[in-house]
Amino acid sequence: MAGTACFIIVSKNDIPIYEAEVGSAAKKEEASQQHQFILHAALDIVEDLAWTTNAMFLKAVDKFNDLSVSVYVTAGHTRFMLLHDSRNEDGIKSFFQEVQELYIKILLNPLYLPSARIASSHFDTKVRALARKYL
Amino acid sequence: MANYLAQFQAIKNTSDRLVVAVEDVSDLWPSVKEGLEKRLPLKKASLNNKTRNPVYVENLQAEFILTTDSRLRSRFPQEQYLFWFREPYATIVLVSCEDLDEFKTILKPRLKLIVQNEEREWFIVFVSKAHPNNDQATKNAKKVYARLEVDFNTRKRERCCKLDLNGVDASFWEDFDFKIVESIRNTLDRRAQFYEEEIRKMSEQRLMPVWNFCNFFILKESLAFMFEMAHLHEDSLREYDELELCYIETVSTPGKQRDFGGLEHGDDQAALLKPGFKPLSQIVQDDSFREFEFRQYLFARQVKLLFRLGRPLEVVMRGYSFIISFSKTLALHENTLPFCLREVWVISACLAIISSTSSTYDGLAAPDNEKEFYRLHGDLYSLCRIKFMRLAYLIGYGVEIEKSPVNSASLSMLPWPKPSIWPAVPEDASAKVLAKEKLILQANPRMKHFNIQRKQLPLEPSSLLREANRRRASLSVGNLSELIDYRQIDGSGIDGHQKFSPSTTNSMSRTYSGPNLESSLSLDRPMRISEVHVAAEHALENTVTDPDLLKSLSSLEEFEQKYMELTKGAADNYHHSWWKRHGVALDGEIAALCFKHGNYDLAAKSYEKVCALYAGEGWQDLLAEVLPNLAECQKILNDQAGYLSSCVRLLSLEDGLFLAKERQAFQLEVVRLAHSEMKHPVPLDVSSLITFSGNPGPPLQLCDGDPGTLPVTVWSGFPDDITLESLSLTLTNTLNTDEGVKTIKSSDAHILKPGRNVIKLDVPPQKPGSYVLGVLTGQIGNLRFRSHNFSKGGPQDNDDFMSYEKPTRPVLKVLKPRTLVDISAAVSSALLMNELQWLGLIVKPIDYSLKGSLLSIDTGPGLMIDESHTIDINEYAKTMEDKVHAHDSNTITENNTHPLEPKQLYIENGKIALPDWASDTSTTLWFPVHAIDDRMARAASADSPHRQNMVDGMRTIALKLEFGAFRNQIFERTIAVHFTDPFYVTTRVANKCNDGTLLLQATIHSQVKATLCLYDAWLDLQAGFVHVRKENGRPVSSFFPLVISPSSTAGILFSICIDNMAIADQNEVVQAESILNVMYGISGDRSNGAHSPTSLKLGSSDKLFFKVAIALQRPILDPCIAVGFVPFSSNCLRVGQLINMKWRVERLKDLEASPSSSCKDEVLYEVDANPEIWMIAGRTMGHALLSNARGSRTEITVTCMPLVSGHVRPPQLGLPAMDDANISCNPPGPHLVCVLPPTLSSSYCIPA
Repeated sequence: MAGTACFIIVSKNDIPIYEAEVGSAAKKEEASQQHQFILHAALDIVEDLAWTTNAMFLKAVDKFNDLSVSVYVTAGHTRFMLLHDSRNEDGIKSFFQEVQELYIKILLNPLYLPSARIASSHFDTKVRALARKYL
Repeated sequence: MANYLAQFQAIKNTSDRLVVAVEDVSDLWPSVKEGLEKRLPLKKASLNNKTRNPVYVENLQAEFILTTDSRLRSRFPQEQYLFWFREPYATIVLVSCEDLDEFKTILKPRLKLIVQNEEREWFIVFVSKAHPNNDQATKNAKKVYARLEVDFNTRKRERCCKLDLNGVDASFWEDFDFKIVESIRNTLDRRAQFYEEEIRKMSEQRLMPVWNFCNFFILKESLAFMFEMAHLHEDSLREYDELELCYIETVSTPGKQRDFGGLEHGDDQAALLKPGFKPLSQIVQDDSFREFEFRQYLFARQVKLLFRLGRPLEVVMRGYSFIISFSKTLALHENTLPFCLREVWVISACLAIISSTSSTYDGLAAPDNEKEFYRLHGDLYSLCRIKFMRLAYLIGYGVEIEKSPVNSASLSMLPWPKPSIWPAVPEDASAKVLAKEKLILQANPRMKHFNIQRKQLPLEPSSLLREANRRRASLSVGNLSELIDYRQIDGSGIDGHQKFSPSTTNSMSRTYSGPNLESSLSLDRPMRISEVHVAAEHALENTVTDPDLLKSLSSLEEFEQKYMELTKGAADNYHHSWWKRHGVALDGEIAALCFKHGNYDLAAKSYEKVCALYAGEGWQDLLAEVLPNLAECQKILNDQAGYLSSCVRLLSLEDGLFLAKERQAFQLEVVRLAHSEMKHPVPLDVSSLITFSGNPGPPLQLCDGDPGTLPVTVWSGFPDDITLESLSLTLTNTLNTDEGVKTIKSSDAHILKPGRNVIKLDVPPQKPGSYVLGVLTGQIGNLRFRSHNFSKGGPQDNDDFMSYEKPTRPVLKVLKPRTLVDISAAVSSALLMNELQWLGLIVKPIDYSLKGSLLSIDTGPGLMIDESHTIDINEYAKTMEDKVHAHDSNTITENNTHPLEPKQLYIENGKIALPDWASDTSTTLWFPVHAIDDRMARAASADSPHRQNMVDGMRTIALKLEFGAFRNQIFERTIAVHFTDPFYVTTRVANKCNDGTLLLQATIHSQVKATLCLYDAWLDLQAGFVHVRKENGRPVSSFFPLVISPSSTAGILFSICIDNMAIADQNEVVQAESILNVMYGISGDRSNGAHSPTSLKLGSSDKLFFKVAIALQRPILDPCIAVGFVPFSSNCLRVGQLINMKWRVERLKDLEASPSSSCKDEVLYEVDANPEIWMIAGRTMGHALLSNARGSRTEITVTCMPLVSGHVRPPQLGLPAMDDANISCNPPGPHLVCVLPPTLSSSYCIPA
């Protein structure tokens, strides 16, 4: 389990639709905002990178001192972004893949509008469980 | 070999081009020098690169040097070998000879001697001085040259060429160029091969103790330098790259402790673009070089080549990664380096790369490259900016740095410099310390606007105070723990100081009382933050040699200027590279600085950019950070519209981002502004704050023309109640967009609670269609606002969320005009004329409430409502039900009467108010009406049964029903009601008895749908007729009562005879017609038709009286004239055919002289014809000659034409002057003729 990690899902029109601070480190108020800031800025890089590869998992696209940003881009250009300090790339990849399955289940819900905020507590619980498992 | 470094350096500096040696055998150089040097630089040369692939090099620089020149002569052979790259690449042998013998004996052996050195690439230029006109000389020269060719050319290679001094052949120069290039190429190949071989040999010794990097470097760089001279920059660059790799490998091998370097004056300025910054011989160390200088040297060489290759992008790319990696290396050696050298070096390196590349970048690169270029520039600027901020923070400008996420993220994750010992406070620095102290105290931490309470973001990875003190060797452990305690209480470095300083006030005064005390105390006592700043500043002054950087750090203003410059540079470049998010974040920093300096205009502009991006992408956490700043700018700039909209946006951010108190402050601002006098009131868009939607469920349905009340759910995002002065909504017709939008208004002021509110709006009558909600507008104080947004639905569990994406859900449906009510007569059969009758009206609402409706009744002529009676009302359905029950005798009819149903109504001013219970059900209204007909009924002859005209019994009644919520709906109808006599009577003479008794049969036909009961009937005869046996004219009384079922008939016989006596009393007033009097009763139901009149009470004498006039005609006893209708000549009549109607008139007896008749011999006639059937040509009235003598006869002819076909009555001839009793007609009664349709006319169809 990583000391600190921030997971965020960004819809294809760049709106964050899900945020979660995962990690064992105590959540600091200012940290969450910085995490958001770093992830937001990393979108610039993702935009450049996403079109250069066929892979969904872009690995670590950005580094901010000792924190890295790993990104997974779905076919619908929804981006899963994880700010983390662990080096476990395989774990992160598995985490992303499983989150994508969950996300697809959310999408299948006829009452969920694509690009709307994901408010499902079930989803939240599952994502956190996945984070504990893989990160 | 390392000893040769200095020499190597010198050689490199002096030789920068290829050398071509000229062996001037025949002293020709002065005369050919000019011509030869014109050929330089070589326009185009085909050389081989390191992989032996041909490369075309343009403008290859070279230099001709005579072999006799000192530069070539003075070299030792070993030197030549070592620095082979500077040796001549080709040797030109200049020869001239005109005598063959001389050539053979002298020149040839000499030449052989010269060219015997295999290592040289040589060729012979034979110079012919012979004048073209001098044939002999030319011939000789040719001979010699031919000999020369034979002797020196080989099959593989021609080594001779011939130059005519007089009249140079152009082909010579081509040949010459070719030969030079060929020689250079060959030499180059050979030397490259040699160097490679040497390098390979040396590489094999890499891991042996004899390995000497300097030697390897000289060889490698020689090769690189040779390539560079030959303009093979690509190869040269590769050599340097390999050299760098090899060097890093060498450096990183553990074991040897090496000096890193970077301790000399001026080392803080990066030498990335200056390869000659320090002579290599200075940085040599044992068998290698000092890393600090040497890696910069290698990079500088690479950059130089890259610029030659025209690749500024690659310079930036390599530069950035070099700076990053080198910065890491510096960090490893930080404890040996001067204080903050790493930061200072990075700053200067970034700036150097930026300035060198931006000036050479032409901007014509591919878009992708351009983006990359700008991005890297942005990265460089940004890196430079961070390091610069770190330095500024160390010397105490931190309090002035904006604590934004960008700065915080950059600085708080960047570790502090780690010098082995933190710099100590210099002596005599008390004034500076005080100044810093002052700076810190004066700098009031910038309050967030709207009193927003936020924990300030940190700018330091850990407390500077603690870090500085920890790194001081003299600090005791006890103090450290004490400090840590402070830290834990305080939270941040600056605050820590503020708490710290009061406790040390006393010691401070003591500290600075005397210089002697200071040093001793400073060793024991932890440094205060101001002292840390002063110490850092002092140390930095020693480190930094760049005057610009020193200046930038010298004062706060200078710092801010530089900071602005760097931030702008980074932002601009990021924007150019389309990294808008990076750019915008830095724009926020620019704005913060502008704000600080009072440039609110610029600040607002930049903040707007930032807010636009964050808002557009929905990153609300980040927006919440910046938006209050924008609002503050707008407030200061008095941009009320912008300020209001910012406040609204602040309010519409997610709940968790601001405290309730802060949100209330935003609302207060909005309300305050709304109620103030605004110069330019603008409509405020509150779409994100106030949202609305129709109520869930089916839309409100209204009938055409009806007003209604539309409930609308309005969600207020305000944290407190807010009063709206007015509120209106637009409705858009989805079916018909041409109509535009309709505005509906709420009548009164509203107070919106936070969250869901239901507001009812009055809807005036709308056109038919389906309406959706458009825009919500309203007013808070003087402020008009509008909202386009449909409700996102407040609570999570609200299903109304769907309406957010589908705003077209109609809220109101106005139905197309349709009949909402129907009024018809309850009874279709006729009612009794001249009697009080119940007239039934069925009022049938069609899915529409008739509550409060008013029925106006206007009767037509001949009909009146008896207002003295009440009006009955009952349910129509029940009436029908009762009927059903009536048929089924076994069923016990329940008492269906509703206790509240009023059954009696009153008519007031011709209007009836319908009761409420009747608003939704069909009801029957019963009115007492009285139809009046003054005319007496007449009996008809049985021969020509002439039914009573229906129109006579028709009465109309005009109804007007006003209904609907506001009696806005009007239903009008005129109903025809049929009234009739109870029966009609036909008479005929049933028999003429021989005794003159006539049996008069009166047939009574029932005309009503009710059972009639005749109680009595008698006949009042006219003059001329009497009852037989002088009876009272009644038939046998035992017949009565006679019951006549509906639509059946009954007959009564009267026996009468002609009264001959009465004729004498002509002058008496006699009854002209006989009258049949009938006394009858009627038993009928009003729901079926005629019934007993209302006025009659049950049980009382319910006998009615009815009179019929009967015309009795006396037989023609005294015929004077006979009129006979002459049959037609043709069998059939046709429409449109002219025919002659003929009557024969014959006088049957002599007419007695009468004084009244002036003309005795003529008779007045009149033809009576129905003008719709007949068209009469000629006179219809006239006198016909007819003599008074008996038997005289005449014929009257009238031409006429039938207009319609069928059996019609022909025209009748009447003789008005004669008494009917005196005319005998044949045929005696009315008769009919047959008229056929017209023959088909085909005249128009036949061609003429």
